[in-house]
Amino acid sequence: MKIDREDLLGKMGEKKKEGFSYLVKITAVDYDKHIEVIYFLRDMARSKDDSIEVEIAPSDAWVPTVTQIYRSADWYEREMAEMFGIEIKNRNARRLLLEKWNGKPSPLRKNFGWGEPYERE
Amino acid sequence: MTISRINIGPVHPSTHGVLRLVADIDGDTVVGVEPHIGFLHRGVEKLVENRMYMQCPPYFEKLDYVAPMSYDEIYVAAVEQALGVELSERAAYSRTILLELQRIASHLLWLGTMSNDLGQFFGMFMWAFRDRDRVLRLLEEVSGARMFYVNMRLGGLVRDFQPGFDERALEVLGYVERRVKEYERFIEKNPVFIERMKNVGVLTKDMAIELGVTGPVLRGSGVDYDVRKDNPYYVYGKLNFKTQVRSECDCLSRYKVRVMEIRESIRLVREALRIMPEGSAVGMPTRLIIPAAKNRIVGVSREMPRGECFVYMVADPQRPYRLSIRAPSFANLAALGEMAKGCKTSDLFAILGSLDLVMGDVDR
Amino acid sequence: MSTGDFVLAAMQISAGASGMAAALSYALTVLLLIVAFDYAFGWAERKVIAKIQARHGPTYVGRFGLLQNLADIIKLLSKEHAVPQKASSALFTLVMPLMLGLSIFLVLLVPFSPDLLGPDLGMGALVVFVLLSFMPLMAFVGGISSGNKFSSIGAQRSALMLMAYELPAMVVLASVGALAGSYGFLDIINAQALTNWFAFTMPLGFVVFFVAMLAELERPPFDMREADSELVAGWLTDVSAPYFGLALFVDYTRMFLGSLVMAILFLGGWAGPVLPPIAWLLLKAFAISFAIIIVRATTARMKLDRLLRLGWVALLPLAILNLIITFMIFMR
Repeated sequence: MKIDREDLLGKMGEKKKEGFSYLVKITAVDYDKHIEVIYFLRDMARSKDDSIEVEIAPSDAWVPTVTQIYRSADWYEREMAEMFGIEIKNRNARRLLLEKWNGKPSPLRKNFGWGEPYERE
Repeated sequence: MTISRINIGPVHPSTHGVLRLVADIDGDTVVGVEPHIGFLHRGVEKLVENRMYMQCPPYFEKLDYVAPMSYDEIYVAAVEQALGVELSERAAYSRTILLELQRIASHLLWLGTMSNDLGQFFGMFMWAFRDRDRVLRLLEEVSGARMFYVNMRLGGLVRDFQPGFDERALEVLGYVERRVKEYERFIEKNPVFIERMKNVGVLTKDMAIELGVTGPVLRGSGVDYDVRKDNPYYVYGKLNFKTQVRSECDCLSRYKVRVMEIRESIRLVREALRIMPEGSAVGMPTRLIIPAAKNRIVGVSREMPRGECFVYMVADPQRPYRLSIRAPSFANLAALGEMAKGCKTSDLFAILGSLDLVMGDVDR
Repeated sequence: MSTGDFVLAAMQISAGASGMAAALSYALTVLLLIVAFDYAFGWAERKVIAKIQARHGPTYVGRFGLLQNLADIIKLLSKEHAVPQKASSALFTLVMPLMLGLSIFLVLLVPFSPDLLGPDLGMGALVVFVLLSFMPLMAFVGGISSGNKFSSIGAQRSALMLMAYELPAMVVLASVGALAGSYGFLDIINAQALTNWFAFTMPLGFVVFFVAMLAELERPPFDMREADSELVAGWLTDVSAPYFGLALFVDYTRMFLGSLVMAILFLGGWAGPVLPPIAWLLLKAFAISFAIIIVRATTARMKLDRLLRLGWVALLPLAILNLIITFMIFMR
C-alpha cells in the first residue's frame, strides 16, 4: 500500500502489532519523477507478505528511520542512504556500508550516467 | 580492565573472503564486533540495468560463488515472471533437482569450512570438498561447467539431462548419504566439537526475527519458516519433505539444521527423480527478442542454501529497470554483532562460521 | 647465544663424563639425532595427515617427497629476517635462538641408551619438566615483543595455558617418582624393567600425562597459541621466514623431547628384546609422536577457558586419584 512518509512510522508500528514482525528488505526505486521506498514485511506465523511504499521527491529525499520498530532495518537503511542518496532522519549511524560512496550522483539513481568515470570521495 | 581493539581481516583465514571485523576485546571476551563490508562490492544491481535480460545470469552466479545455480535460477525466475513465461512440467522438476543438488554441494562446503574454523586441521575440509566434487560433477554433466553453470534459460534449461543421469545421480546421492552419516558421527562423538558449538552464539527466537536472519540460522533458532514449504515454488508443493527446525538456538543447532537439510535434499532429489515426467526441459534460446514485459513489477522469493533470497524487479521491455536483491548472507551478517556480544574470542569464529557467509553474496 | 654455548654448558654439567672429547661427541651425536628425528617427523606429519585427508602430501621432491622438507628449509633460511617496526627488536631477535638452545639442551639431559648417556643429574625428569615450562614463557615474551595484537593474544594464551597442564603433569610425575623411587631417568627405566611399564601399572596417570603433554607441547587440540583459524598464526604472526623455520624446529624438538620423556616414564624407555636399546627408545618415541599426529588430524581446537576447566576439574583430580591409587597399591 502507498502511504505518505509522515504516516510511515505509525503504519509500521501498526503492522508490527498485527504480526508482521519480520522485515525482509528495504529498497528503493528511482522512477525519475519520484523515488519509491519500499518496505517488505512478513508475518512469519501465517507466512503472509506485505509491503509499504513511500513516494518521495528526488529533490527532497529523506525518510524517517524505522530502526526503533525493526532493528534489522539498520543495514538496509544505510545501504539505501548510500546507494540512493536518501537521507535517513533521526538516526546517528553515519558510516556508509558498501562503497563509502557519498559523492554525487548516487550510484543507483537514474541520473548516474554510464561511461564517464566518477571520483570516489 | 583494558579493552583492546583488534582488526580481523579483510585478509584472514576465517573470514571466508574479504570481510573485515573490528572487534573490541576485554581479555578473552569480545565486547563488541562491527563488520565492515563492501570489499567485494561489484554493483551488480546497477550493472544489470544496462544489460539485456539474458546477459545477466553470469553476473548473478558470481554473487554467491558457492551456490551459483540458485542465483542463476532466481534471476531467470524473476524474468520469467515479468515476461509471463510458463515452464513445462519436466523443466520445473529438473530445476528442483538442480537446486537441491546445489544445496547439498553448498552445505557440504559449509561443513568443511565450519570445522576448519573450529580448528580441525583441514580434515573435514578435504573430505567435504571431495564429496562436494562428486555432486559438482553431476552439475557439470548437466550444464557443461563445474562451478559457474549459466544453465537456466527462459522456460527451462539449456539442455535436458543426459540419458542415464538418474542412475548416476542416485549413486552420488547414496555416496553422499553414507558420507554424511560418517561425518555426523565424526563430529557429534567428538566432545571438543560439541563443546565448541554448544551454547555458543545463542540467538533466541524473538531475536532471530527481530534481527532479520534467514535460512538455516533462522531455523536453527526455532522459527519454522522455509520458503520451499511456506511459499512453494516449482514442484516443492508436490514433494514430501520436512522443514528442519531446531530450537536450541546455538551453533550446534545450526549445524544440525544444515546436516539434516542435506539429508532432506537427498530425499527430495530421489523423489523428484522418481516421479519426473517425460517431455522436454529445454528453454528458449538466449537471443530471443523480448516483447513488452507482461508484469512491470515482480518479486521472487527463493530458499537458497544460505537462506531466503528475495529479488524485486521493475521490468522494462528489454532490460531490468531496477533490480534489488535481498541477499541471505547480508541479512545474517547484520546479526553478527548481536550474537557475538560477550562471547570468547574463539567463539567469535565459531559463530562467524555458523552463519555460512559468502562475501560475494553480502556485498553484491 | 649459539648452540656451542649450550654444548659448553652441557660439558660443564657433565662432570662425570670422561673429559671434553666425550662430552663433545655426545653432544654432536644427540644433535644429529635431533635433526634426524625432526626431519623424519616433519615428513611423517605431512604424509600421515595427507593420507588422513585423502591427499598425497609431498611427492615431487625426492622419492616419496622425502626431500621436500630440505627444500623448505633452504627456502625458509634463505629469506630475509625482517623485524616489524613496532617490535622491540632485541627481544624479538633473541627469543627464538634462546628457545632453540633451551630445547636442545633439554634433549641433552635425556639418556638414549646405556652407552649414550648425558649427565645423570639424579632427578633428570624433574629438571627437564621444570625447564620445559620455561618454553611458554619464552613464547610469551616473543609474542609480546613482536608488537602485533594477534601475537600478544597468542602469547597470553600460551602463558595462561601453563596453569592448566603444569600441575596435573607434576602430580603424575610425582607418582612415577614414587614408583621408581627416584626422579632420575636411569632409575625410572630400570624400575620398569622389560615389561613392567608404568603405562600398565597406572594407565590413568598415562592418559592424564599424555593430555597434559599435548598441552605442554601446544599441539592440537591445545594449539590455542597458534590457532591459525583465529589468530592468523598466533604468536608467530609477525615472524619472518628464517625465524618461522626456527620456530618449527623448536616445536619439533620439543615434540621429540616430549615423546622421549613419555617413552621413558611410561613405556619402559630403551628396554626391549632383539633390537639395540636406542632403536627401542626411538621407536617408542616415534609411536607417541604418531599418536600426537593422529590427534592433530582428527580433532577441533579447544577453547582456552575449557582447557583451564579441563585441567582443574578433570586432569588434576584424576592425577591425584592416580597418585592415591599408586600409593595404596604399590607403596604398602
